[in-house]
Amino acid sequence: MVVKIVATFAAAALLAASPAFAHHGWSGQEGKLVDMTGTVVQGVSLAGPHGTMKIKVKDEVWDITLAPPARTSRAGLTEGIIPVGATVTVRGNRSTEAGRHEMKTVLVKHGAKEYHVYPDRE
Amino acid sequence: MTALQFLQWLEASALGQATRALGVWSYGIINLAHILGIAMLFGSILLLDLRLLGAWRQIPLAIWSGPTTFMARVGFLLAVCTGIPMLSVNATEYAGNPFLLVKFPAIALALLNVWLVHRSEAWRAHRLRELMPRERRRLAVGAILSLVFWLTAITGGRMLGYW
Repeated sequence: MVVKIVATFAAAALLAASPAFAHHGWSGQEGKLVDMTGTVVQGVSLAGPHGTMKIKVKDEVWDITLAPPARTSRAGLTEGIIPVGATVTVRGNRSTEAGRHEMKTVLVKHGAKEYHVYPDRE
Repeated sequence: MTALQFLQWLEASALGQATRALGVWSYGIINLAHILGIAMLFGSILLLDLRLLGAWRQIPLAIWSGPTTFMARVGFLLAVCTGIPMLSVNATEYAGNPFLLVKFPAIALALLNVWLVHRSEAWRAHRLRELMPRERRRLAVGAILSLVFWLTAITGGRMLGYW
């Protein structure tokens, strides 16, 4: 009985550790990098598991998902550094889900400034 | 109040504002404490439930049950006290997330099971005397339900972040 229970837990642990479950992966994103230019409607927030901002591209508001807060901050992209209304260009991988306007972002350009939050993914 | 209204209220609350203002490491640290709480909770529960299912019979249940239920309570409290601020950081992002409807009902069922086990004749008797086979079966059923409900709650909670 106990052996069976332990074996079940071990199997569950192995399953959970497999790459398909990789945490906060890029698996739901398109393979190709895309540039989008838009207007900031909600500035950078470094609360939560990832940094975030919202930009308006044409008539659509996009969720811009950045790196974890500490990493985004190390890249120089801190809260308040890009004002609402500013024009920015973001580069990243968009969600593959139809109608979901979300981009996992590797680079944010604001004027002459570039914030490389995931330089190894560019 | 709908679920969305509750999540909006929680996000806009003083708790949400304060947690968001704590700095870039705050979410990670709160998350760490949440995981430690779950580790204490589930680790203790696993030890108790396996004992109720017949493992380590040489150790009297009356000795086993004290520290395991105590640590499970401490872990649960830690998980709740860190889980609420974590949710408040960006609560509305979880609106419509189906794993919320897995996690929280599973926690409710798990707590109901705890309450039913603790008020059972078998549980009350275990500190005083040897249990009868019928009473051991009652506690074994409670142990299986406990493992199912808590594992479901933990799975739902983990999968929230992948939706």
